[in-house]
Amino acid sequence: MATLRRYISVLLIALLALGSFPVAAAQTTGLVSTQAALEADNASEERERIHDILARADVQEQLLAQGVSPDEVKARVAALSDSEAKQMAEQLEAMPAGAGVIGALFAVFVILLVTDILGLTDVYPFTR
Amino acid sequence: MFTRLPAKQMRPTRLKNARSAGVLLCFIVSILLSGCASRPTLLESTYQTLPSHVELNDVPFHPQVEYQCGPAALAMVLNHQEVDTKVEDLIPQVFIPERSGSVQPEMLATARRYERIAFPIRGTLDSLLTHLANGTPVVVMQNLSLPAWPMWHYAVAIGYDLPKETLILRSGEIERHTLSFRRFDATWARTERWGFVIASPGEVPVGIAPEQAVNAISAYEALHGSDAALPSWKALVQRQPDNAMGFFALSNAYYEQNQTDNAQEALIQATHIDPELGVAWLNLGLLYLAQGQTAKAQQALNKAAQLPGPWQDRAVLALKTL
Repeated sequence: MATLRRYISVLLIALLALGSFPVAAAQTTGLVSTQAALEADNASEERERIHDILARADVQEQLLAQGVSPDEVKARVAALSDSEAKQMAEQLEAMPAGAGVIGALFAVFVILLVTDILGLTDVYPFTR
Repeated sequence: MFTRLPAKQMRPTRLKNARSAGVLLCFIVSILLSGCASRPTLLESTYQTLPSHVELNDVPFHPQVEYQCGPAALAMVLNHQEVDTKVEDLIPQVFIPERSGSVQPEMLATARRYERIAFPIRGTLDSLLTHLANGTPVVVMQNLSLPAWPMWHYAVAIGYDLPKETLILRSGEIERHTLSFRRFDATWARTERWGFVIASPGEVPVGIAPEQAVNAISAYEALHGSDAALPSWKALVQRQPDNAMGFFALSNAYYEQNQTDNAQEALIQATHIDPELGVAWLNLGLLYLAQGQTAKAQQALNKAAQLPGPWQDRAVLALKTL
């Protein structure tokens, strides 16, 4: 049920975004845009656009689910490039999130203490 | 944190100790065998060309609160670039509460929102030191811990000492954290040596990889438009005169600003530098076509149609309409 709801909301966001696109976006000469050239994709540009909108809608959903404020989420997604949006849609879960030093279990603490002294890690600056 | 299963509680303690001792042993052996602790070697040219001591004292320090090293690191480099912002403003823009951290694409994107371009640097210690020597602080991502229990962290590199082989960071709650090149590189290597510098539009730092530079400016252009990006494209081709994709992108920005002659000129440059760049030939042909210069259009489109790649079909199609 939750997944169904998620798919529907992604679809709705995408539809809204598509509807808000300016009609006159297409250039008359049909030059290949820089972003399209960088993606170097054979897919038609319209199809690429739709993929892109879906990826952005997906990232928006994921960020909201992970506690980002609804007031901020739109601007955050808008600031991403096409490839960044795709990358986040595909692998946000697996992406490293910089947080700094966080508490560790005792066994891990001992190991990290040793590796800190060996100069392999930098968890406890007091080891030096 | 973890609830222990009843079956495990019944296991004899001796066995349990043996197991953790084994794990520890395997672990230490694997570290000793892996070469990740070796001292990073710098290029000879780095020693010859860079000053032996650099410290960018004018980079402000914002201590990190809780897990918010991402917003703190960004605030330091943005403030250094004379952007008026605070850590508190950046937290809702880059921090992901459920992940207790900030991810790399959003670090770059947030700089963009403040009208600065974030350029990922080449992942070498030489390149990091060169940016510092040029007066640019570098946001670096580290894994302070081991791959099995990662502690991802953003810090700002502000200086180094070549004879002592130490790096100086603004990191976490420490304003001036000095650590050896060896220790730093061990923690940095775990993020594939990821780091970035920020620059104002119209500035392209020295030593950025051509592809990364084009990607960074293109992302900025997508958010702020071609008129805002045009100075950066111009600066890029000046900085990297053999960057064919740079000229291609410059021509698109010119075209959108209705400077067709300049757009055409830039495309000719792009095809000169890289005669295999099909997409540049294609756009050049289409531009000639729009101006009614059929002979030239045919020539350019023929080139594009001969080059295998994603734009070949479009060129063949355009040739048929001639």
